[in-house]
Amino acid sequence: MIRSIRNTLGLAIMCLCIAGADKSSAHPHVWVTMKSELIYAADGTVSGVRHTWAFDDAYSVFGTQGLKSKRRGVFTREELAPLAEVSMTSLKEYSFFTFAKADGKKAQLKEPVDYYFDYDARRTVLTLHFTLPFKAPVKAKQLDVEIYDATYFVDFAFAEKDPVALVGAPAGCKFSALRPQDASVQSQRLSESFFNSPSASGGWGAQFANKILVKCP
Amino acid sequence: MTNSPENRATPQLLKLLIVIAAVLLVSGVIDQASAQGSLFAGPRLGDGPPGSVGGIVGWLFAKQAEFYRQFSGLIRAAKADGTAVWSLFGVSFLYGVFHAAGPGHGKAVISSYLVANDETWRRGVVLSLASALLQAAVAVAVVGVAAAILNVRAATMNSAVNAIESVGYVLITLIGVRLLWVKGRSFIKALRHPRLPVSEVGAAMTSKPPDPGHSHAGHSHHDHAEACQCQDHTALSHEDGHGHCDHDHDDASAWSHAHAPEPEQLAGAGGWKRGLTAIVAVGLRPCSGAILVLVFAMAQGLFWVGAGSAFVMALGTFITVATIAVLTVVARASVSRLATARPGYGTLAMRGVEVGAAAVITAFGVLLLSGYMVNERMIGF
Repeated sequence: MIRSIRNTLGLAIMCLCIAGADKSSAHPHVWVTMKSELIYAADGTVSGVRHTWAFDDAYSVFGTQGLKSKRRGVFTREELAPLAEVSMTSLKEYSFFTFAKADGKKAQLKEPVDYYFDYDARRTVLTLHFTLPFKAPVKAKQLDVEIYDATYFVDFAFAEKDPVALVGAPAGCKFSALRPQDASVQSQRLSESFFNSPSASGGWGAQFANKILVKCP
Repeated sequence: MTNSPENRATPQLLKLLIVIAAVLLVSGVIDQASAQGSLFAGPRLGDGPPGSVGGIVGWLFAKQAEFYRQFSGLIRAAKADGTAVWSLFGVSFLYGVFHAAGPGHGKAVISSYLVANDETWRRGVVLSLASALLQAAVAVAVVGVAAAILNVRAATMNSAVNAIESVGYVLITLIGVRLLWVKGRSFIKALRHPRLPVSEVGAAMTSKPPDPGHSHAGHSHHDHAEACQCQDHTALSHEDGHGHCDHDHDDASAWSHAHAPEPEQLAGAGGWKRGLTAIVAVGLRPCSGAILVLVFAMAQGLFWVGAGSAFVMALGTFITVATIAVLTVVARASVSRLATARPGYGTLAMRGVEVGAAAVITAFGVLLLSGYMVNERMIGF
């Protein structure tokens, strides 16, 4: 009896080692500090989301690796243009990490426009600017925009100051910017709160989503 | 050793096999689901609630991020103050330890490999060390050649890493398929003679001429100086095409003696050759963290500091992977005691476990290759 328990235990540990070993999930290698704006048209509909994403210094240096510039270590917007093109192509595969819902229904986003990088040479920080227009202008009582990497290779965090803005929104529209909090420290509370408000789509990284919530009358 | 009566052994065996199958299956699914897989993740599929950040996993993440984010600052500091290098190495080591608890770094592949091949814990440790060091070496080589010498762009470097990665995945798949073939045949053989007691099976296998169905590719090896003394061949078995010879031994050894490390399993020139494919398969994929740190260090004119950091990271990774590898081997040994207690069906069950482990490796390779399971893919540039 004891022996069979021990054997079962052994078997369980063995399988756990195999399975559990790689079971845990991805971990970020890229950190993005972001600000997002919702752009409103004159008729009160939302036309798109404008992102400003600042990358961490290590990834910024990696990104500028091998780029030609007139001055060493300093990159102009034009010199960064090829990088912006590449980024738009590769980010497309990840839906630009931006997931929107209008009154609970998925709102489709189009190809990005007005995209460019700028570079802070002193802090070695690359910042990506781009706008994602909605396929159809959105008119909704409640608009949710979530920003996260489902694979959690990229860690997104709202900037401390003014992370979200509504540009040209009708009076009475209110927004809130929800952070995943310090997800890793307050993991328990986080997962609970997420079960209460299911995210736009699943995935491990969704737990670390930053969310813009806009309510209009 | 005596046979247990068949009527008692059968339900036992069935139970065991069901447990094995279930655990392997579940583990595979969990792996795909949580390991950054696009299978369940992302916008493609699934509206279910996201999984929760487990306490331990969350803590691991926090630590890892904490260490990783110190790298750039420490590298900058090292530029002015040489002593900061030691802090950098310290943090690199810790990062490696925590980082390896995450996906990649071949823990699953190494563990499965150890189970399937009935390897010793020492070999597990060496496999872990060698693959970790190789991983660091590849990272240093990639950044050294691509960035420092050729000065290519990040995107080009990413493609290079992806290409290298794919070769590793192909190797993993090949190892899995090879093991499936070898172990599958042992399993079938064991199925045919389920009631043969241990010693008889071993004796029968060693003295008998090879089955007609066997691969005769290994024949010529008989003529070599290191001829087919099956004791010595333990170390050479399974993976290097020594056909039926190692086969015989494989069958004999698994049920005739216990799984304590034996000298002949550890030593010998050919002994390490066997693990080489596994080392390369696992170690080929450079770690994204190491590459980022290296590029950053290089930009600060401290390439060798970055290289040192990558190797210290590898040592940290090695500690974690080796711990898991040793645990796996110990667990397997404990399970195989059941097998020695019940020669007929027990050994069959062990063969089943080995086939299962081989299947896990194959599945890993295929899933990684097909992109259903993604390891740390560089995004953005």
